[in-house]
Amino acid sequence: MSKAAARLSCATLALAASLVGAAPMGFKDSTMAMVDLGPDWKEVWVNHAFTARDAVGAGAIAMRSEDGARKRTLLEANYTRLLSRWNLPEAQANVWLFAGVGGIRGNDFSGTRFALAPGIQVDYETTRVYAAVTGRLYRAEDLNHDYASVRLGFSLYEADYDEVQPWIVVEARRMRNLSEKTEITPLLRLVHKRFFVEAGVNNSRQARATLMYVF
Amino acid sequence: MTHVLRSLAVAALVAASLPALAATSIKATVNGMVCAFCAQGIEKRLSRLPASQAVFVDLKRKVVVVEAKEGQTLDEKTITAEITDSGYDVVKLETIAQSVAEFKAGAKGRK
Repeated sequence: MSKAAARLSCATLALAASLVGAAPMGFKDSTMAMVDLGPDWKEVWVNHAFTARDAVGAGAIAMRSEDGARKRTLLEANYTRLLSRWNLPEAQANVWLFAGVGGIRGNDFSGTRFALAPGIQVDYETTRVYAAVTGRLYRAEDLNHDYASVRLGFSLYEADYDEVQPWIVVEARRMRNLSEKTEITPLLRLVHKRFFVEAGVNNSRQARATLMYVF
Repeated sequence: MTHVLRSLAVAALVAASLPALAATSIKATVNGMVCAFCAQGIEKRLSRLPASQAVFVDLKRKVVVVEAKEGQTLDEKTITAEITDSGYDVVKLETIAQSVAEFKAGAKGRK
């Protein structure tokens, strides 16, 4: 597999990890859906919380290289576990475990390559401040990459439960053997009791938008 | 007959003069409620309870108020379980003689 193709495959997996950082699952017996749209990748996943701490789901990603020549599709089954939670009077902190297994197909190689993606996330949130650190390992044939991201955010003001609350969030992430630089993405986040929306432009001038909904 | 009609009229006048029965709600103080999108599960789960008339989630005051349907009783253990299954911890429960609308009006007045 060429280096460019390897980076493309890895970026596909890494993208899936970064989007989990917002809110990886809903309440017991709920189903959460997420759509992420960008010029070079599009992702959709859905998961179902069968307990208050466990969710299973599936996702799909369609990605292409900047010149449009190479294309990838990833199908993944995933499991999310809320390992620990601290519900405090004015804050909440969580430790999440992720486990993904999937297959990658491309227009420049035959067949499907099997991939595993375990990970962990620690986050802390109040009604005004948000912080999350995420790390994931990616293993596939000829692929061995680590991923890490940090998200920091603050809300412009505290809002009532049925009001839309705006946040400013900045994400910094690195993907081993994928990029030499740290990708920085400032995001505007709008949170309502029914929906969660984020939009931003990274330091490579690529726009990104995310929508999440809980049924 | 006249006596019966007179008695009925008096009973009707007495009933009309009585104050309406006050609504009953359970107010839960909850830890961990910091995000509306994440706390929506509390509202959805509690609204599905058969005895639930209305639900109010107050992120600023960290309370959830569940109003009972007229003539019905809310079970505190059930309410605690639903909030826990939504991902939060109940630290205190109390019964209040207010409807959700009355509690919300009072909360806005205290802003």
